[in-house]
Amino acid sequence: MIFRAVEDADLIRQATRGNVESFNLLVSRWEKRVYNYLLRITANREDALDLTQDAFLKAYQNLRKLDDPGRFAPWLYRIAHNEAYSMFRKRKPETDVEEIEPEATETKITVGGSSVFPMELSLAVASALERLSADQREAVVLKIYQGFKFEEMAEILSCPVSTIKSRLYTALELLKIELAPMKARGVS
Amino acid sequence: MSCSPFDLKDYFLQELPSAQRVRVEAHVKNCLGCREELERLQLTGAALFSLRDEEIPQRIAFVSDQIFEPSPLRRWFSGFWGSTARLGFASAAMLSASIIYFAATRPAPAPGRTAVATVAAVTPSPREIDQQIQQAVSKAVAEVEARQAEKNRQLVADFSRRNDEALRSVRWMAGELDANRKRAQVTRVMAMSQPSEGGEVK
Repeated sequence: MIFRAVEDADLIRQATRGNVESFNLLVSRWEKRVYNYLLRITANREDALDLTQDAFLKAYQNLRKLDDPGRFAPWLYRIAHNEAYSMFRKRKPETDVEEIEPEATETKITVGGSSVFPMELSLAVASALERLSADQREAVVLKIYQGFKFEEMAEILSCPVSTIKSRLYTALELLKIELAPMKARGVS
Repeated sequence: MSCSPFDLKDYFLQELPSAQRVRVEAHVKNCLGCREELERLQLTGAALFSLRDEEIPQRIAFVSDQIFEPSPLRRWFSGFWGSTARLGFASAAMLSASIIYFAATRPAPAPGRTAVATVAAVTPSPREIDQQIQQAVSKAVAEVEARQAEKNRQLVADFSRRNDEALRSVRWMAGELDANRKRAQVTRVMAMSQPSEGGEVK
């Protein structure tokens, strides 16, 4: 008998056959990452939690449409992205996503001065992320925090790789101007 | 403006293959500008990672409710209906099965005695088919034999004609030889009977 770790593909196959416990195990593996992704693009914990639940429910309902279990992560994030933007449109159909006010990271700080502490750095990062456009911020979140490849990001966001790179490079330039000097001043 | 052989941001974002990463690293060792740019990107990355992931405030779990849980048959049907590949395969299988069925089974004749009689009149029995085959074979054999006999007769006639001609030639040559011999004898006799210049008879 050969023992090996249970992979996502195994859980997906069992969940497709109606095994809810397998799907719950799959959820437990991904819920924190999906929640933090949604938290960073919505900037609201309650919305992020609701959207995470909706995303997993929709994933369970459509699991049989997932042809390649190896593409589960981009597929799941695509659902989460769609759920978030659907909520944005329902909530403020007349306004742009950029204008939605964040809840948890409302503290704006000016980066400057001689020295900053770790907490200040976190706040400065949150503030710098908020100043990015929604598209740039989502690109940074997917790449830096979630570790997706350009092709996977293109699949999640339904746009060409060139667009993804453009958004990410512009965002990095802006973040670099704000954050690199601050980090260099000795905050570790 | 970076002079690196490959984009430093791609290097920083780990989107370069290992061979290109090695080249960038070699370049950065010798290029102060690119080294500083890469350090700025790495500082930015380190700053971004100071923002920690939060724990999810409430764990998500689903329960299997028998009331709302679809039956296995319905799950299979919805899964079957939702898969284009499965539908396509099923269609192809049905088409193949129908082709095989119609190929294996002849179309049923229309009911009624007239139709049956017509089919019986048109379709010969095996015995009749054998007789027709025998007749055709006999006719073909007779034709071949007649052609062969005619050919043999022509060959014999040709051979006889050539034989007659050869015989006539031989007879003519024999006659000529006989005539020549006779002429030679006459000439010799006449030569013996003529007197010589000295008045003697040879």
